[in-house]
Amino acid sequence: MTLEALLRASVLACTLYLLLVYGMYFWLMLVGFAETRRRLRERAGDDLDLLAATRFAPGVSVIIPAYNESVGMAGAVRSLLEIDYPDFEVIVVNDGSTDDTLAGLVEALGLVPAGASSREVVPSEPVTGYYRLPGDRRLLVVDKPNGGKADALNAGLNHSRHRYVCAVDADMVFTRTALSRAMREIVSDPAHIVGLTSFFEIAREPARSLEDGMRFTGPETRPIFAFQTLEYLRSFFNNRIPWARHNFMLCAAGAFQIWRRDLVDEVGGWSPDFTCEDIELTFRVHRVLRDRGASYRIACLPDCIGVTEGPDTFRKLVSQRERWQRVILETCWDNRRMCFNPRYGKVGLLGLPYYLLAEIVAPVVEVLALATLTVGAVTGLVDWREFALLTLLVTLANSALTTGALIMLDLNAKTYRLSRMIRLLALMPVETIVYRPILAWARVKGTWGYARGDKSWPRFERNTRVTPA
Amino acid sequence: MDRAGTVVLGTALVGVCWAIMILVILGGRLRRSGREQSCEVGDWALLEAAPVRAQATGAAADDREVLMHGLRSSESEVRTASVNALGRLGHRHEWAIDGLIEALADGCDAPVRVAAALDELAPRPGTRLLPLLRHPSAAVRFSAVRLLARYPALALRHVPDATRDASPQIRAAALETLRETTSGEALRCALERLEDPHPLVRAHAIRTAGATAGARCAVLLVPALGDRSWWVRDAARETLTAAGPGVADAMLAALQDHDVDVRGGAALVLQELGVAHEHTVEELHRPVETMLTLVEGGRREDPSEPRRPTPLVRSVVALESA
Repeated sequence: MTLEALLRASVLACTLYLLLVYGMYFWLMLVGFAETRRRLRERAGDDLDLLAATRFAPGVSVIIPAYNESVGMAGAVRSLLEIDYPDFEVIVVNDGSTDDTLAGLVEALGLVPAGASSREVVPSEPVTGYYRLPGDRRLLVVDKPNGGKADALNAGLNHSRHRYVCAVDADMVFTRTALSRAMREIVSDPAHIVGLTSFFEIAREPARSLEDGMRFTGPETRPIFAFQTLEYLRSFFNNRIPWARHNFMLCAAGAFQIWRRDLVDEVGGWSPDFTCEDIELTFRVHRVLRDRGASYRIACLPDCIGVTEGPDTFRKLVSQRERWQRVILETCWDNRRMCFNPRYGKVGLLGLPYYLLAEIVAPVVEVLALATLTVGAVTGLVDWREFALLTLLVTLANSALTTGALIMLDLNAKTYRLSRMIRLLALMPVETIVYRPILAWARVKGTWGYARGDKSWPRFERNTRVTPA
Repeated sequence: MDRAGTVVLGTALVGVCWAIMILVILGGRLRRSGREQSCEVGDWALLEAAPVRAQATGAAADDREVLMHGLRSSESEVRTASVNALGRLGHRHEWAIDGLIEALADGCDAPVRVAAALDELAPRPGTRLLPLLRHPSAAVRFSAVRLLARYPALALRHVPDATRDASPQIRAAALETLRETTSGEALRCALERLEDPHPLVRAHAIRTAGATAGARCAVLLVPALGDRSWWVRDAARETLTAAGPGVADAMLAALQDHDVDVRGGAALVLQELGVAHEHTVEELHRPVETMLTLVEGGRREDPSEPRRPTPLVRSVVALESA
């Protein structure tokens, strides 16, 4: 086979891949629009205040695993305790922090040592101490040796007392209606909804991004945050919400995931054997329930329930995305028997193949495309005019997808000022050229790390705060 | 058309799509800023308008028809909107309360939503809730039992029977409702249910007994500190702690119990009450392993599990070291 024939075959493979993947992307976006329309109608007739005040609302145990989270931890706990919801508890698990996370929390909130006991339904590192807030039984701080995030979540699960557990990241700051919004969805169909995740915003410093604990001040203007905002919009409105509508949710986001506690007990809690715990638990829940033939749903809300902290440098961003890529590979490999298996319904026939195409094959195709382009350029076989047009086509297609997500957000929340939205629209074409190659690099690194058996989870270095925690 | 032409055409098409989407965003913003938020046509307009109109004019016959029709809608969003509208109208119109009770009985919407709306309307629903106690659906009986917590007199008369319901959820809910009456009848029902086969019911029985009799029932609750279910042990510890220093004697006696969980639970209660230190000093002659056993609060089924030091144990160890 000649070099030219090889290049042609490579170009053909890449083009077919693009058509397939973008076909799926656009289909998912249309599903997202249908779901947005349904939710707008639902919300028009619902009464959030009623649910936020009624004693019929199901109880929720919020678990915050904390490892070296002295920056902003007290603020995150305070924001949780201020949530408008009638029946919830907050369990902070200090996972053997080597900084002053625990001491800072004890001092900032005035915690006192207390006694408690654990259900011990899932294994976790032994607890070495308990702290409570005098006069407020809703907060329990559990101190234990370091065992990783999954282990900390399991320790929290062992102490949870409500029917639902809500696992959140320590850097999240929540709106006051976060739980009532989430539980509104669950109580609409408690017999079937076993899990839920929700849209959240991203910011450099979450505590400064919510006005009066309710209103998001808008996406940050720095390009690295604007790009991440666009990516988060796509990942929720073009992915998770359509996945949830078709009942093949692939990842209940680790920053905010609610599960029925008895189910998490039953599947054995969060697994510490994976680089990251959220995707793996979602897949395990699917596997266990589908094996049993149960009828269930994992829902996703378009409502902004809070703000999480995003990496403020490209180095941190690459490190984070590299880990995400690794965990996707680990999880998909672990659940490979579900792929194209009709026994697992849409998860096996649509969800896993989607991940395979959009996340696992993508780095391979990206490397192939780059190699083809390089060889083509060296041998003079590249038609630069066509190349430019194709790049423009992909850029516009990406921009159209992201704009779709932005429209859905705007229909749902209308939180962004027009000037910020115009800025985001202007950045969309740039994102494909500037930001996506960085993500592609992170994915290649993650794939390589997975191939080498890397399971490390270096701590996400928190951004420097402008204001004290 | 050659290949380049196809790509140009594709690019132009996608570009146009994108431009249209941008116009949708900007147009939507301008449209919304130009007028108040509107509701959709059809059922939605009627549902949205019903409470407003009924409250403004008092003429509600048409609205009743619309809302009752909405409760039977095939769309869950419409049913939810109808329930909420009925909830808003219930303060002025008896038929709205009847509509909500009907919605609860017929399962028109999630029981939590309907029950929450009815709960807001207390004391108006009153005796109209009683037939729901005999409803075949456990979810409806559960809601009815909990709704009656707002009506102590009715609860005392009708809820005790529900403590013998076939569903453990309802037995537990009945005890929870009776707890709010803090009556002798509530105590009697709670004591009857301390040996219930379901841990949820036993836990609620303990809490109800504690809420009604306080420290007086401490001796009766001590065995529950060693219950096979963590939920019951935890309920017993919390209840005894909440009962206050009056339970100290019973707890100190429980420290001699043959059951490790009873001893551990009693130690935790004493610690929470602030009398642990005195006891700890007395117990210093015991080896640390005994103390670890004493305060063990974890699952009892597997005695081979490693011991978990608690703050009390650590304080004992520290005292011994000193």
